Amino acid sequence: MMAYHFGRGRARLAPYLLLIPGIFLYFLIALGPSLATTVFSFTNATGIRGAPINWIGWENYREFLFLGQASLDNYAALGRTLVFCFFVTTIQFSLGLLMAMLVNQRLKGTNFFRTLFFMPVILGAVIQGLIWSLFLYPLGGPMARILENFGVRSEFFGGQPTEAFAWVIVVQIWANMGTTMVIFLAGLQTISDELYEAAQIDGANSWQVFTNVTWPLLTPSVNTNLLLNIIGSLQAWQLFLVLIGYRNGTQVLGYLVYAQGFGQTSGSVTSAFRQGYAAAASIVLFLLVLVLGTVTQTILQRREKRIMG
Amino acid sequence: MKKNTIFVVVALVLVMILSACGTQATETAQGPAAAEKVTLKVLVHQNPPMVDFMTKFNDEFTKRHPNITIDMSVVNANDLSTVTQTRLTANDVDVVDMFGFANAAQPYMKNVDPPNWQTLIEAGYLLDLTDQPFVKNYDEPTIRDAGTYNGKVYEINLGRVSYSGIYYNKDLFTANNVKVPTTWSELVAACETFKAADIPCMTAGGKDGWPIFVGAYGLTGALYPDQQALVEGLWTGTIKWNDAKAVEMWEKMKVYAQDMMEAGASGIAGDAAPGRFASGAVAMFPGGTWYASAIEAAQPSFQWGYIPFPGSDNPEDNKYLFGKYDQGWVVAAKTPNKEAALLYLSEFSDPANYQAFANAVGFIPTQPNATLDTQIGKEVAPYLANFRVGLEQYWVAPKGAGQYANPWASYFKPFGTYDDPKELADKVQADLQSGLDANQ
Repeated sequence: MMAYHFGRGRARLAPYLLLIPGIFLYFLIALGPSLATTVFSFTNATGIRGAPINWIGWENYREFLFLGQASLDNYAALGRTLVFCFFVTTIQFSLGLLMAMLVNQRLKGTNFFRTLFFMPVILGAVIQGLIWSLFLYPLGGPMARILENFGVRSEFFGGQPTEAFAWVIVVQIWANMGTTMVIFLAGLQTISDELYEAAQIDGANSWQVFTNVTWPLLTPSVNTNLLLNIIGSLQAWQLFLVLIGYRNGTQVLGYLVYAQGFGQTSGSVTSAFRQGYAAAASIVLFLLVLVLGTVTQTILQRREKRIMG
Repeated sequence: MKKNTIFVVVALVLVMILSACGTQATETAQGPAAAEKVTLKVLVHQNPPMVDFMTKFNDEFTKRHPNITIDMSVVNANDLSTVTQTRLTANDVDVVDMFGFANAAQPYMKNVDPPNWQTLIEAGYLLDLTDQPFVKNYDEPTIRDAGTYNGKVYEINLGRVSYSGIYYNKDLFTANNVKVPTTWSELVAACETFKAADIPCMTAGGKDGWPIFVGAYGLTGALYPDQQALVEGLWTGTIKWNDAKAVEMWEKMKVYAQDMMEAGASGIAGDAAPGRFASGAVAMFPGGTWYASAIEAAQPSFQWGYIPFPGSDNPEDNKYLFGKYDQGWVVAAKTPNKEAALLYLSEFSDPANYQAFANAVGFIPTQPNATLDTQIGKEVAPYLANFRVGLEQYWVAPKGAGQYANPWASYFKPFGTYDDPKELADKVQADLQSGLDANQ
């Protein structure tokens, strides 16, 4: 029988008392707002304290999913969110792995490059947006000049919605790849050199070493990165706000929630704040994240169990 | 004994944490003790000449009233309503710059949400200014149309602006022998002349989105001079965005977006566009009267003029200037600094100060005895009798309407995806109709 570290009598309550602040903060900061969002999604809340809030049942969901062309535009935003998630996850994952393997070499200057690749992560979305807005300034910005040499010109973020959307994917990957790289790097450094030496003695080439030693032993890092990338890209909205604003053909669900909640959709500065409707949209986004996250996690856990035992 | 000590220490720590929270909450609820010194928190939107003027006004105000300190925050126009709401509900602001009351629900509109200003008033966040003496300094129609709700005055509006005009570069017009256009055909010909001389015809602050479509309001206005009636017609189905008249508008918008606007305009920020025009690099700049001060500040010797956007081939249709009531002052109803806030507005509304403000910012005055003694004032003077409030001030989209249900030139390439005016006209009407049908 295991000894109980906190003793007997009233002292047994100590761990529970210690848990109270954490649970309190969890309810206050995490669970509380989530539950409140669910409740607000059934109301016509404007977010203005003191303004009347009426219970309108499923009306926000009906409007979001079934009312007129706007609901079809919402489905288009949903599709765009999945496209964004697919490209960001696959490219960020692959590049992060590649970068981690490069900076994991025993070469001079690897610390410098680790810092360099990770640096965008510590910048906020506004700074990231500013850097790329300047880099992609269509009237003589650096990229415009490079393209000019090839006889190509572009409006970048202000041009065709598909092109603007593609540039946001690029910036999102640039901004977050450092985190992916660091997680992979941590995983790579847990793999013992002896395994690589044994593989080399067995005559394995570089590809065989990667597929049979590195990749299987990176499984925990792979799982973490995939989940973080998928969830992070599904919830992305700040870069859309900073780089593009509310433009037809570019919205993803995360940004739609913000735009509806804070009256950014009509071009008029006096638009209503539809926070009840935005809450319903965010619940739809939450369900999307939940389904994709759960499916991904189930598949990854099975794979991890198979490989790691 | 040792185990009991652990229990006591944990309990004490918890009590300390909880009592710390409690103390904080009590202090917040009671508010700071009344102090002789007052910090008046003022929120304004980014408009460089206005911010410059307000900075000077604040300095003079604090010299006259040394016990009052002004803490002025400046936010982007797109963020003003969000920040206003946040700070009003947190009781963290005293005086707020709020755009003139607009977009009110009309009897023919079904199932629409009230505008933000109306919700703020109904929730008790804006102070009733009806009986304040300084309200009488402003003209009655302005107070009624832009600052009154349910018979009470909540805002003093500081000026009207026009956004349907074009600034033109006098030197470039003279050097290229181009006559100032008074019709659409003349405008098209002028742009062709400039383009042939390798001079971009027009620029706009496209990075902010709205300057591209606001710049083309003259096209809508020339065809639909009564914009309030246009909104009612669209809601009731007597006007459609794809009828013959509207298709003419879309065809012209395509020319505006693709042939008149300079390449790269989408990257120019709204407050950088006046500088680009003042640099002499482009011939014209469709935009609001509020840009005049920034143009003058960027290049004082620059020679420019301002005309209504000629959207029609009949000069008679081009005599209108469309615009809106711009900035106004509201006071937070729950401000602990009510006296200081009202004093601030009272001194601001002093006719001499207001005249200086109108001159600095370029607003069309809303005080009856003020005049716009600046170049932009002289430029717009001939058209002021034909000043009309624009579509965006009346428009409220029906719920369920698609994202294209607006008359915006920015839907055309290179800013949007459309190339064919008729195709776009049908799409805009279909998106609008979808919302109208959904609310039947």
